Amino acid sequence: MSPAFLNFIETILNGLMAGVMYSLVALGFVLIFKASGIFNFAQGVMALFAALTLVGLQTGQVPFAHLINAIFGTDVHHFGWELPAILAVLGTLAVMVAFAYLFEAIVLKHLVNQEPIILFMATIGLAYFLEGFGDLMWGSDIKAINIGIPSGGSFWWEDVTREWATEGSDYFGMYVDKLDVVAAIVAIILVVALTLFSQFTATGRALRAVADDHQAALSVGISLRSIWVIVWSIAGFVALVAGIMWGAKSGVQFSLSLIALKALPVLILGGFTSIPGAIVGGLIIGVGEKLAELYVGPLVGGALENWFAYVVALVFLLFRPQGLFGEKIIERV
Amino acid sequence: MNAPFDPKLLTEPTPEFTLSAHQDDIPSGEVLLNVEHVSLSFGGVKAIQDVSFDIRKGEVRAIIGPNGAGKTSMLNVINGFYHPQEGTITYRGEPRKAMRSTAAARQGISRTFQNIALFNGMSTLDNIMTGRITLQTKNLFWQALWHGPAVKEDIEHRRAVEHIIDFLEIQHIRKTPVGRLPYGLQKRVELGRALAAEPALLLLDEPMAGMNLEEKEDMSRFILDVNSQFGTTIALIEHDMGVVMDISDRVVVLDYGRKIGDGTPDEVSKNQDVIDAYLGVPHD
Repeated sequence: MSPAFLNFIETILNGLMAGVMYSLVALGFVLIFKASGIFNFAQGVMALFAALTLVGLQTGQVPFAHLINAIFGTDVHHFGWELPAILAVLGTLAVMVAFAYLFEAIVLKHLVNQEPIILFMATIGLAYFLEGFGDLMWGSDIKAINIGIPSGGSFWWEDVTREWATEGSDYFGMYVDKLDVVAAIVAIILVVALTLFSQFTATGRALRAVADDHQAALSVGISLRSIWVIVWSIAGFVALVAGIMWGAKSGVQFSLSLIALKALPVLILGGFTSIPGAIVGGLIIGVGEKLAELYVGPLVGGALENWFAYVVALVFLLFRPQGLFGEKIIERV
Repeated sequence: MNAPFDPKLLTEPTPEFTLSAHQDDIPSGEVLLNVEHVSLSFGGVKAIQDVSFDIRKGEVRAIIGPNGAGKTSMLNVINGFYHPQEGTITYRGEPRKAMRSTAAARQGISRTFQNIALFNGMSTLDNIMTGRITLQTKNLFWQALWHGPAVKEDIEHRRAVEHIIDFLEIQHIRKTPVGRLPYGLQKRVELGRALAAEPALLLLDEPMAGMNLEEKEDMSRFILDVNSQFGTTIALIEHDMGVVMDISDRVVVLDYGRKIGDGTPDEVSKNQDVIDAYLGVPHD
């Protein structure tokens, strides 16, 4: 195979992997939007908060250390323990569930039956609150996630692919980050698990029922409030997974919350209500971005990756506003 | 779990198929639900004014009246969607105040809607399975872990649902998303979902609206069968007077939010107020 073709393959592979990362974020949006019609602006910050909590728990940081020290004049920072990764993950999960419960009890409960725009505003408020709260709780320094996920380029894959190149060409093999492969596998497991859960359990049926018709769901005795807690907990779990993967890739820092912006074009492509849409949308954006950078980038001076996704989304809005998999928008006049 | 369908479920002689989860020791003919002096208004609009009537265990009770008489509002009050400003409702001998519809469902009050409210994206089977949610007690944690007892519970509920599907003669559309079904069948699936909760009191909001004669006859038969086979108390709203006279034991008539008649179909149809208001026959 010619090196140019191998480059093309490599670009697609890396695009798919990047797409998976976008999908992980988009998935959280879809879950909440489907069940409650809320566009959760705070999904990105939830990923950040989950990642901060995970690192904090694992490295034994004292929560609110700065606050405690400022008030009591103490000098505590660390408990002096290191938790095993699995315990830290479970602890973070418990925190995200508690967060979902509190958000429902303090905010959502009072906004039942309000306009979508009001709920959206509430999630903007939540985003800023959570960002500040995360800062206060765990500090604002950049942290590294270290829960034993392999990362760095795979030499094995480099060696394998080097053999594929035409004899005599100076091809050095494909670069694939092991972290991306892990992220892809995790995303697949996550989607399969979510699908099985929603198809084959009573709670899953209740989730789908609420997504379909609130009033009918109430009449069969489904409690909207407990469903919302469950949905936000699941979204918190998805945020944790996204936070781990993105955090491992680029460090746990506050700019992590901006990954939510990358999920927007994915949602517009895939449709706001479709889980497969979130996945396929992410993959298309990921691959499109990388291919465009490779082939069109040199013509326009690069940096295409920053805006390509949004242009694709804009085109979609013009010609297929409901996205690839979204429910068709039918207006009765 | 949607276990692969086992034909044995249908042929196996079942010891007893009852809808008895919410049946209780109230003897047949006693008052199951009592509505006293209930008034409901939305802003200045008085939907229901000082209405009192009762529903007795084991009967088919019809609520009739011209459009805008407050029939659906009455049903919404009973099932907890609306909370009346005045009056009391006594259910199974216990007075209740503002009650959420979820709680009403848990106490054995199921309903259907005038404009069908099914879960369109879900199959017939899944729709009817949601009706059993209040009876499923294994919690989320075990369900998520695919824990033995939770799976077993789901299969037991699936068995009950198969009986309901059988009873309503909708086996052939078990797997079809209900959004694709014709109107008459959707109505039947909605009845199935309400039945799946094994209600003590079944509220039907215009179960025959928009149906042709044959579909109406089928639906009437199902309603009567539910009433006689399972002893389920039924309150229904219906516009087709012929049907009402045929299938109901007692009828309450509303007009402009007030009660203007109450009694057996015979009594009601001879009541001059009812004839005036409902049938539009002028005095002379």
